[in-house]
Amino acid sequence: MHKTSIMLRRLLVNVTPFWVHQRGLRTRDMTPGLLVSHWQKVFQDHQIPDAQDSSEILVSHALGAKTFRLIPPALSQRPVSDHQLQRIERMGQQRLQRVPVQYIIEEWDFLDMTLLMRPPVFIPRPETEELVGLVLADGHNLLSSWEPRILEVGCGSGAVSLALLQRLPQRSAPRGTLRVCHLSLRVSSRIENFLNCGFNCSSDIYQVFLFCLFNPSHPPDPPERLRPFGLIDTIVSNPPYIFTSDMSQLDPEIYRYEDHTALDGGPDGMDVIKGILRLAPRLLKQDGDVFLEGDPRHPEMLSQWLTRNPSVQLRLISTVRDFCKKQRFVHLRRS
Amino acid sequence: MVRTPGPCRPPPPMTAPSIFCLVKGRLPWKAWIPGRREMKFLYPWTSVILSQAAEKKNDSFDLEELQETDLEEQFVRGHGPGGQATNKTSNCVVLKHIPSGIVVKCHQTRSLEINRKKARDILQEKIDVFYKGQNSDILKQREELERKKQEKRKKARENLERKKLLKEKQLSEEGN
Ligand SMILES: C[S@@+](CC[C@H](N)C(=O)[O-])C[C@H]1O[C@@H](n2cnc3c(N)ncnc32)[C@H](O)[C@@H]1O
Repeated sequence: MHKTSIMLRRLLVNVTPFWVHQRGLRTRDMTPGLLVSHWQKVFQDHQIPDAQDSSEILVSHALGAKTFRLIPPALSQRPVSDHQLQRIERMGQQRLQRVPVQYIIEEWDFLDMTLLMRPPVFIPRPETEELVGLVLADGHNLLSSWEPRILEVGCGSGAVSLALLQRLPQRSAPRGTLRVCHLSLRVSSRIENFLNCGFNCSSDIYQVFLFCLFNPSHPPDPPERLRPFGLIDTIVSNPPYIFTSDMSQLDPEIYRYEDHTALDGGPDGMDVIKGILRLAPRLLKQDGDVFLEGDPRHPEMLSQWLTRNPSVQLRLISTVRDFCKKQRFVHLRRS
Repeated sequence: MVRTPGPCRPPPPMTAPSIFCLVKGRLPWKAWIPGRREMKFLYPWTSVILSQAAEKKNDSFDLEELQETDLEEQFVRGHGPGGQATNKTSNCVVLKHIPSGIVVKCHQTRSLEINRKKARDILQEKIDVFYKGQNSDILKQREELERKKQEKRKKARENLERKKLLKEKQLSEEGN
């Protein structure tokens, strides 16, 4: 045997390919339902989390459906093609390496949008869907503004901005343009998502400039550089907020495959949050809002930090729980 | 970094990891809002998006509003730290209406928030049927739809039959 193939065998989780199990069976007999049970069992045997869900999503994806129930009846009764079978096999092997399902199928849903998910773009979490709802429910300034200006810090896949853009009141249309500023490290995946949602990249979005904000080794760029855009109604951010000491406890799906700059918020998880808080009063309109997602410990810490830093002219309006009843969001306002 | 097409200024050199790209969008509204969607808020922290279809469907009826306090909601995703520290794909929602004991489960979509909304829609319909029985508008509509479907099927069958007859007639004429 070739040396490389021996090495490969050592590296790969030792799972006999599906077709070996099925040698007795003809691939003609493999319906989507059977494949789902097969992979579910394989995943369970290898302690892969979300075994059933993973299996259903991968099989459905190979058949062009978003969920197992959405596979058209005509396809679900019929055996899959050889090509589909091999594709499922490849995807299943990736899952066995703990690759997140969203990266394997390269897409995921955020509210009613389907977004492109190529590593290392951060995979949006369901809590952040609620952040969008909170901005729209409590961002009175934004909703009453004729020319709403939003600044999203760290937009990742663009999920939050895209969802907000689709839902802001239409009456700002006659006034021409809507300005959206993003502060983010990653550009490529986001631009593709804008395209998928029907934006025209070349005319609608353009890069203006790059600048440093919270880099300890460089003096921060003056926020005045954002001034040409005018004062902002709302700053929204789901910044990296995991405490550095908690990073090593993350599931392999996250720790090994997602970008740590999107996750690691420093010793107290507040590095970027504090950066945003310092910057916000200078960028926001009077009574402009800040909406942040954070760790359940953060609302309390943030409130204390504001007391210790009275020069930061922000007041805490509310802290809001997520669907698991965990303190997750804060709403601040420029005072 | 992938440069995007379009009128870009040459970006200054990157000094990862703290370089930030400011992207400005000039987005005329009309071009990109195909069928705008409305928001409805059940409660500040359960803000849920109403899809247009769901809204239309329920607008035509006098369905009773669900009270969030009457609901018990469970998530199949299990107990983790949540937020950025959790990445699960199971977005199944189990919703119970405490007064009637009706339970619905929804994992129709890959979005938890949309599933929560859909679960409420389904529950609302079930409750309507539960309390109003035969008088439920939903039931009536469903029966009406079923009747129309049957009719359509019947018509299609008749059409097919007619065409077949016509063809046979033509064939037999050609044969002559
Ligand atoms: C948790 S992700 C959120 C992405 C997206 N908003 C979402 O909710 O799916 C955090 C994002 O912030 C970016 N980021 C990290 N450090 C940053 C910083 N110092 N300034 C601006 N953005 C930063 C990361 O690259 C990442 O895209």
